[in-house]
Amino acid sequence: MNKVLEVKNLTKKFGNFIAVNNISFSLVEGEVLGVLGPNGAGKTTTIQMLLGVMDPNLGKISYFGKDFYKNKVEILKNINFASTYISLPGNFTVYEILNLFASLYEITNKDFRIKKLLSEFQLEHLIKRRYHDLSAGEKTRLVLTKAFLNYPKIILLDEPTASLDPEIAVVVRKFLKIQKEEYNVSILLTSHNMSEVEELCGRVLILNHGKIIEQGAPEILVKNMTDCQLELTVIDDNKKATIFLDKNKIPYQVNRYTFTIWLDEKNIAQFLITLTDEKITYQEISINKPNLEDYFLQKIGEKNDKF
Amino acid sequence: MINFNRVWAMVYRYTLNLLHTYDRLTDMFYWPFLDLVLWGLTGLYFIQSSNNPHTLTIMITGLVFWIVIWRAQYEITVNLLWEIWDKNLVNIFVSPLTIWEWIIALIICGFTRLIVSISFSALAAFILYKYNILIYGFYLIPIILSLALTGWAVGFFVGGWLIKHGQKIQTLAWTGVAALAPFTVPYFPLTILPDWAKTIAYFVPPSYIFEGMRNLLQTGSFPIDKLIISFFLNVIYLILGILFFVFMFNRSRKLGLGRLI
Repeated sequence: MNKVLEVKNLTKKFGNFIAVNNISFSLVEGEVLGVLGPNGAGKTTTIQMLLGVMDPNLGKISYFGKDFYKNKVEILKNINFASTYISLPGNFTVYEILNLFASLYEITNKDFRIKKLLSEFQLEHLIKRRYHDLSAGEKTRLVLTKAFLNYPKIILLDEPTASLDPEIAVVVRKFLKIQKEEYNVSILLTSHNMSEVEELCGRVLILNHGKIIEQGAPEILVKNMTDCQLELTVIDDNKKATIFLDKNKIPYQVNRYTFTIWLDEKNIAQFLITLTDEKITYQEISINKPNLEDYFLQKIGEKNDKF
Repeated sequence: MINFNRVWAMVYRYTLNLLHTYDRLTDMFYWPFLDLVLWGLTGLYFIQSSNNPHTLTIMITGLVFWIVIWRAQYEITVNLLWEIWDKNLVNIFVSPLTIWEWIIALIICGFTRLIVSISFSALAAFILYKYNILIYGFYLIPIILSLALTGWAVGFFVGGWLIKHGQKIQTLAWTGVAALAPFTVPYFPLTILPDWAKTIAYFVPPSYIFEGMRNLLQTGSFPIDKLIISFFLNVIYLILGILFFVFMFNRSRKLGLGRLI
């Protein structure tokens, strides 16, 4: 596998505070890597260092096998970035903004590229509209359009679909998949939308307190979680069920007659038989398998308990 | 190596920004015009009680030449601030644009706006007071260039602080150069300054230009030595100003340019 980005022992300190603590990872060609973490985990600091707008204290960043700081101009021509938290010149029209960045990236046949991307992101009717007159969703799509102007080989996206309508978010995700599949673009993205990460990313890193606490393919990480969430609504009263769960030390939450119970998947059948033996009757039942969000919350919870 | 396509892209960015922002046009035309009216009328009043026939010329020249310094500084610092106001600083520095290309673009923009401002001011002064800036002949070119160098040097010193501290100290973008004004002696001779101020004025390049200007009006010749000293100091200050700006930019990058937005 061809590594297009390699990060070794990256560290960023602000005084005594360590924002990013000795992290190492890589991104291979055509891969979509998700970086997850709670607020303050070090995601944005990491992205800023990967883009060269923040200097690390320690560590090395290489793109396409070349040292980033020694080959910055050449590398920056081949990567790009979009974030919901970054803006664009407010009094410029959509076309003027894209023309400016197309010139900065020295794109040949600028107008063709601009029109094609505007059409992909369904923005072509806004070409003469000023940036500050766009809706939040339109601004996000324009930032993404800017990010793909230079045919990037690697793109870094900080919450790319935040503030988008669900149907437009689908269009964006589809576009990202096409970029990856047809053009072999490598994508590093941060998102709080776990279903999006599960859908797009082949691999995720979980950051907490500046450290990578877990990494792997989402489906494999989730597989490691054996606990399912069982929801059942009991008939009559909940006293019997409460006594039973407490006696067997089974974790649960109760809301009137509805119990939320966490159980190992393989124990569910036996649990339901035992309920019947104990004459605890129920009328509704649902079993939720764990997903990436559950895994993420569990991991963050575990780590935060240690801090 | 400097890539002029990227330099022109930034010139395009600031030119378009100027055309889209009416208050920038106000800065370019309204304030110079208002200053000319106010100081010109003040000059006309002083001329009644003065034996010096050049009083009005000195005041108008002082004003027009001061506009050169002010505009040169202002264009650098305010264009820089626009990147922060627009939350666009990160966007331009994740592109292949280098700091040196940005600096060249800022200078080019500053120079073109300065030419527009001074042309407008000179025309307005001619219409209002029959004042002709061309009385300085060919000296006008080195005079304007020297004053512009001062403005750029101050612009990059102030820009260095702005790129490090951001909007917290943005008022320096407008007021930074004003601190120099008394020591540039635009309207009065150097001799009237107290000794401590005189010492400072010797290190302020425009003081030589304004003294030379008064000399030219009285004797008909501009002292070349003053022009040379002014240029010499300006070149040193501009180099130091740019180095300071780059140093502060790098320090700011250590903390992350993203924090400025």
